[in-house]
Amino acid sequence: MSSIDIHAGEGRRKASALTGGLSGAVLARAAKDAFLKLDPRKLTSNPVIFATWIVALLSTASAVAALAAHQAAGFAIQVAVWLWATVLFANLAESVAEGRGKAAADSLRATRVTTKAKLIIDPTTGTYIPTPAHKLGMGEIILVEAGDVIPTDGEIIEGMASVNEAAITGESAPVIRESGGDRSAVTGGTTVVSDWIKVRVTAEAGSTFLDRMIAMVEGADRRKTPNEIALAVLLAGLTLIFLIAVVTLLGLGKFSGVALDPLVLGALFITLIPTTIGGLLSAVGIAGMDRLLKVNVLATSGRAVEAAGDVDTLLLDKTGTITFGNRMATEVIPAPAGGSTARPWLRASSTIERPSGVSSASEAIRAARMAASGRTPGAGITSVAMRLPKVMVPVLSSSRVSTSPAASTARP
Amino acid sequence: MTWQGWAEIALTLSLAVAIGWPLGVFMSRVWNGERTFLDPVMRPIERLFYAACGVDPKKSQSWHAYALALLAFNLVGFFLVYAVLRLQGVLPLNPQGFPGLSGHLSFNTAISFVTNTNWQSYAGEATMSTLSQMLVLTVQNFVSAATGATVAAALARAFVANRGEGVGNFWADLIRTTLYVLLPLSFVVAILLVALGLPQTLIAGVTAHTLEGAEQKISLYAVASQEAIKMLGINGGGIFNANSAHPFENPTPLTNLITAVSINVLGWAAFFAFGRMVLAKKDVRALVIAAFVLLLAGAAGVYATETQAPPAQVAAKVDASVNMEGKEVRFGAPATAAWVAATTGASNGSVNGMHSSLMPLGGGIAMFLMQLGEILPGGIGSGVAIMVVMALLSVFVAGLMVGRTPEYLGKKVEAREIQFSILAVVIIPLSMLGFSGLAAVLPEALKGLMHSGPHGLSEILYAYVSGTANNGSAFAGLTANAPWWDVTLGIAMALGRFLPIVAVLAIAGALVAKPKLAPTAGTLPTDGGLFIGLLIGVILILGGLQFFPAMALGPIVEHFQALGAVAALR
Repeated sequence: MSSIDIHAGEGRRKASALTGGLSGAVLARAAKDAFLKLDPRKLTSNPVIFATWIVALLSTASAVAALAAHQAAGFAIQVAVWLWATVLFANLAESVAEGRGKAAADSLRATRVTTKAKLIIDPTTGTYIPTPAHKLGMGEIILVEAGDVIPTDGEIIEGMASVNEAAITGESAPVIRESGGDRSAVTGGTTVVSDWIKVRVTAEAGSTFLDRMIAMVEGADRRKTPNEIALAVLLAGLTLIFLIAVVTLLGLGKFSGVALDPLVLGALFITLIPTTIGGLLSAVGIAGMDRLLKVNVLATSGRAVEAAGDVDTLLLDKTGTITFGNRMATEVIPAPAGGSTARPWLRASSTIERPSGVSSASEAIRAARMAASGRTPGAGITSVAMRLPKVMVPVLSSSRVSTSPAASTARP
Repeated sequence: MTWQGWAEIALTLSLAVAIGWPLGVFMSRVWNGERTFLDPVMRPIERLFYAACGVDPKKSQSWHAYALALLAFNLVGFFLVYAVLRLQGVLPLNPQGFPGLSGHLSFNTAISFVTNTNWQSYAGEATMSTLSQMLVLTVQNFVSAATGATVAAALARAFVANRGEGVGNFWADLIRTTLYVLLPLSFVVAILLVALGLPQTLIAGVTAHTLEGAEQKISLYAVASQEAIKMLGINGGGIFNANSAHPFENPTPLTNLITAVSINVLGWAAFFAFGRMVLAKKDVRALVIAAFVLLLAGAAGVYATETQAPPAQVAAKVDASVNMEGKEVRFGAPATAAWVAATTGASNGSVNGMHSSLMPLGGGIAMFLMQLGEILPGGIGSGVAIMVVMALLSVFVAGLMVGRTPEYLGKKVEAREIQFSILAVVIIPLSMLGFSGLAAVLPEALKGLMHSGPHGLSEILYAYVSGTANNGSAFAGLTANAPWWDVTLGIAMALGRFLPIVAVLAIAGALVAKPKLAPTAGTLPTDGGLFIGLLIGVILILGGLQFFPAMALGPIVEHFQALGAVAALR
């Protein structure tokens, strides 16, 4: 079973950074990245493109050697150019896929770097000096006043303030945060609307909620999805198979009296291996994202689309926003036992439950009314079973509860 | 090409599917341990085996234990065959007084029969005593076939299970498949063949006096019973060197039809049995259709190439429209074409004509059908198992292309399955091409070749393709009884048999623990025409593409040389 959390506000805010499409800036950055990614250490994650890179290097060497020896180098140069173009194009496709996430991450990072914190250096007098947010250390005390952006994650040790957490939770109404109790945690990037608080920093720079969000958006900290891992195995296997096919051709060619140029074998190898799938996988991801966009779903990456395909349970912390929040009977399903019909049972249970005021009771009453007016599907029902809509429960992991104030504001 | 020829091919190949269907229903009952009509006879014998071996047939094994039992059983089988062949000279039931076999030939032959390959680097009637034929070779014909079948049974259980643990009991699968399926069916076919004139005797042979007054020794064996399991067990190792082209193994067109159909019957039955066990008849029907289409295409290709005028006959100004070289006159081109496809599509390897004498492209098609991994329909059980591996790869590739969750028969396909699928598939080119590439440059190996040039290369390629694919048919020009060929072919056969089996069992082990998922809107349907097309594509690309460069230097070049020669003559 896998699950994802959906933070409605998060998505809404990212939307502004992501709906720009393939802007010039994204493309320019992707083009630059395509060259940076020629670093072999970054290429090893994609065996197919890595193999292409090696053959490109060899063909370049062979072209240079041919030129140095004043031999015909046209074929070698042509092969080298094709191969480098293949590698660069694959890199470009990947960079474009990552580019959107990066643009969003950049805007997030910019807010963090420019935020100035008021670091209290003398707790007795309350004297503070302005300090860049990313230079704050664990355990230091900062002052946040009305209108200030909270620079980092922390715990209120003194004071009480209403905080606008829309940036993190999407909740437009400010919430009250005060020292002590379970409402003392604050998150970097949120804004104090009124009053002031003193906050003890609880997260090292680089591991705050905002930092982790940036990392997640950039895809740097994300685990590979099972499909990606499996595909990497498949592509590596196919590359190996064709490597065998090409290497053994040396022996078979010798038997047939054919002298095979290593350059030709290299080119044949690249032709056989699945460079297209290997190189354009990220482009496939973009296509998936754009298809989702058409139905008003924003995906931050192709990988996210794929991960969403494996979800079989959805945990929401926004039940009030997205669902009705109370249980409703949509259908009465008979249990395969008992001897009487459903109607008397429904009537009896509604009579018993009426004073309790529980939401399921009122649903039983409603179901009984529907049955009385003949609207309940299925006559001859022998017992009553309530089918509740898939109940959305605010389940959050313990680590999230301790670091994110979003948890304490989540209401059923 | 005549319509009678086409009809004969279609009849031979489709009859096997038609008979395989009810047999598959029966086989699934055997694998599931259900009651069958043979219980009164076989059940006591089965119990006796369990009691003697101390096996609890109800105890389900993990895939590790299952694979270990399988490997151990085959290892013991190997040593047994090796010992008997080496000691043949001093053992009884040796009326012809044959000496023991050389070390390398015993090694090769033992692996060959244990792996269900039946590659024969020797001529049966001049090498093997009656005891060797009956005690070790025939026994291995049964149990090696049953070994393959156990793999399909284990894989089927993995697909059925919902968060299960074991994949079944190897010993129970082995014993039940042998007792309930192979033995009774072989009995029936053997009786049928005896009635149609095949010898069944323990005397060494008869001495005949020819018209010229010369004396001729004619070898005889218990041919009919051997012939039955040779075909049904998809073994292919004949008693006589000429195999099913020999008049004692295959005297008439009727015996030819019966034996040709027998080649594929149990291979198809394993497909249907798998489908019934997994409760996925429609999905397995798609696999059968894909395999049958490829098999029929192979047979059609061979028929088309063999009904061309051979260049040598054109050169000799002989009016010939059919290449009859290496074919039996009583069978003709269509029966030979159907047999070539059937024997190479399954991992049988028996021949009713000489594959080396096929037209270049005809021989190429025979090689190609083996290179696909022996899945058309392949060996009993091992064929459907590798076909399911292909289906897993297809589902995965197709799933990524169309954005569907890769699931097959209710089980999610993830990294582990793909990893072992690739392992099962990668060994095929590694062994086939790797050994061929080596043999093509080693003088030690080249001594065994009869031809040079592209036909010589085809001899090398065919040997390793046939060995790795556990087929066992040969391009007859090669003299394989030499240390290099015996040893390397032995290794190729063992690799091509046991690595894929272990990989498939590992897949079964991974699948068995997974929850069985109900199909959703996101599941790629695996029973329709779209999937059949995808599957055929994956099979051709995985099986064909990596061999194409090598084939281009062998059969394809030879074909164009032949065309050029004919054009020059006209």
